[in-house]
Amino acid sequence: MTSNRELRRATSLVAAREFRQRVRGKAFRVATVLVLLGVAAAIVIPKLANRHSSSPPQKVGVVGSLTSAQRSAVDRAAQDAGVRMSLQSFDNRTRAVSAVRAGRVDLVIDEATSVIVATTISRDDGSDTSDLAYGVAGALGTQAAITRARLSTAQISELYASHPVPIQALHHEHHSRPVNQAASTIGLIALFIMLSQYLTWTLVGVMEEKSSRVVEVLLATLRPVQLLTGKLIGIGLTVFLQAAMVAVVGLVLAGTVGSDVLHGASPLVLGSTLLWLFLGYAFLSWVYAAAGSLVERQDQVQSLAIPLVIPLVVGYVSALSAIGSGSASLFVKVLAYLPPTAPFAMPALVGLRAVTWWQFALSALITLVATVATARLAATVYRRAVLRTGGRVRLREVLGARAN
Amino acid sequence: MTATLQVDGLVRRFGKVHALDGLSFAVPAGELVGFLGPNGAGKTTTMRAVFGLTDLEAGVITWGSGPIDAAQRRRFGYMPEERGLYPAMPLAEQVEYFGRLHGMSAHDAHAATAKWIERLDLAQRADAKIEALSHGNQQRAQLAAALVHDPEFLILDEPLAGLDPGGIDAVMEVLRERVRAGCGVLLSSHQLDLVEDLCESVVIIDHGHLVVSGSVDELATSGPEQLRVRIDDVNDAAWARAIPGVTVLDAGGGAVRLQLDDSVDRNDVLRAAMSAGDVHEFGLVRRRLSEVFREATA
Repeated sequence: MTSNRELRRATSLVAAREFRQRVRGKAFRVATVLVLLGVAAAIVIPKLANRHSSSPPQKVGVVGSLTSAQRSAVDRAAQDAGVRMSLQSFDNRTRAVSAVRAGRVDLVIDEATSVIVATTISRDDGSDTSDLAYGVAGALGTQAAITRARLSTAQISELYASHPVPIQALHHEHHSRPVNQAASTIGLIALFIMLSQYLTWTLVGVMEEKSSRVVEVLLATLRPVQLLTGKLIGIGLTVFLQAAMVAVVGLVLAGTVGSDVLHGASPLVLGSTLLWLFLGYAFLSWVYAAAGSLVERQDQVQSLAIPLVIPLVVGYVSALSAIGSGSASLFVKVLAYLPPTAPFAMPALVGLRAVTWWQFALSALITLVATVATARLAATVYRRAVLRTGGRVRLREVLGARAN
Repeated sequence: MTATLQVDGLVRRFGKVHALDGLSFAVPAGELVGFLGPNGAGKTTTMRAVFGLTDLEAGVITWGSGPIDAAQRRRFGYMPEERGLYPAMPLAEQVEYFGRLHGMSAHDAHAATAKWIERLDLAQRADAKIEALSHGNQQRAQLAAALVHDPEFLILDEPLAGLDPGGIDAVMEVLRERVRAGCGVLLSSHQLDLVEDLCESVVIIDHGHLVVSGSVDELATSGPEQLRVRIDDVNDAAWARAIPGVTVLDAGGGAVRLQLDDSVDRNDVLRAAMSAGDVHEFGLVRRRLSEVFREATA
């Protein structure tokens, strides 16, 4: 009888060979560099763009004069908004309005009683002009109220030293927008690229072992499930080496440039994305390996790849759309419980804060159970199909049939 | 420790085709057995069955005292008809990998790899990828992968195909050496003359069952006796046709080949030949293995 130790030893030898060959390969190096460049670009470019866009100071016209208290209030408002500004005095309102219309100034403070802007603004449009206009309007309004109340200097100091009281929520409501859209988007794109790459390796790797006939020599020594498990573990280790490199480089880079990717829910998004990379690979790799055992030529691989990739694309596109729109549709919520699409949909729900921990755990459990069932079926298909040569083997031929 | 491989009553069908139909034979330790048969006779299916690569409807394969198991198979060496190595993996690394899969330690596999690639004249190409090797060298590499773990039993499907004469000599010498060391070898080939030179015995199968087996010597001398006779200045075989029980198989170039019924005394034939003229050559003809094969599978 072959001992379990010997079985594990042979499986680990297969995994080690697979890992070594993959990591040595040009495809791994090129793919890793491309993913790293993509992640670096996604982190650095928005930061550079923000820095560039915030650099010109807002030009603020002033009609009439500002008291020292009002001037201090306006300066504090600009500081709170993170906007630099330069003040420009106007003799009268008409000239100031003309300057706003002509774009020579961004906004005008009219006699410390109103703020004039060129077009309608909203609080959440994210522009420096909007942030500054709302900040200045609020500050001047507060300052006017203080003056009317005739507060003493001590009272005014006390007022400005105030802190907001804590907010206690009776019911937890999900936010409709992700805390960090960038982190979710970067995670999804990297997840899709990496899963697609390694699942293709699995499919083509099994096909190549079949077409090169080396599988017959290997199976004279190993059990099919050992060979298949070793292969999937080897490629899986390559996946996690690459994922670890991407995560480390991404985190270090984000920390270095001070990117928002590190803030808010991003560690949660990153963790769930890595977990679903693992769960997604664990489930889908068996499917791809079984499919690879049915074919022995590149053109046959291509005909199989299309139906195999459809669930991935549906999951990926739906998840990306949900992140982009800031809300999770019922469709995406359903996809989050289906093993082929959950690796994309569930991290998106995490990014949107549209999932509870038990829903997350339930989806992971469903995928794990499906993985065990799929692995058993895939091993049967592999054993029966991988030694059949001479053309593409139909799935219905091997299910219910004997081994070759 | 080597033992006898016994194949007993194997049955395997693929749809309506009987690939194996009650096939039985044995390969003793320390013997090189030629495994012959026309294409589709069931040779590859039999070899795969030994390694558990095909399911059987009936029959059993034993190694020593009991049915063969996975651990025993790992001590076998296998060279399938359709060669199989990783094309992009370096030769030495690949042979070493197969050694380790057969249970060798890293050190032993490394040493054995060095020994076998040297022995098979592949040392200069140790770091080359398999796909960069010539066809003949790929054959040698495949054999090295089958031999690296010092197997107790070898199953080789067409190991001599595609080799040049030097390669054939090298492989034959290695196989003889393994047999002398006590290893049993089951070798399939369509190169019957080489099998006749190399093997002590043969098993011929057709349509999934055994048709002939025995030692090469027994088979060469089995069946009706044949004589080759050359008489100076006599170019026809009229003298032989006059002898009852003698059939002329071949006549030309001054020599005739005769087949004698059991009732015919070869001394009577010699006397008739001497009566016809001066006898230059008179001798028994050993049947070639190819003749035995053709008769068995006709």
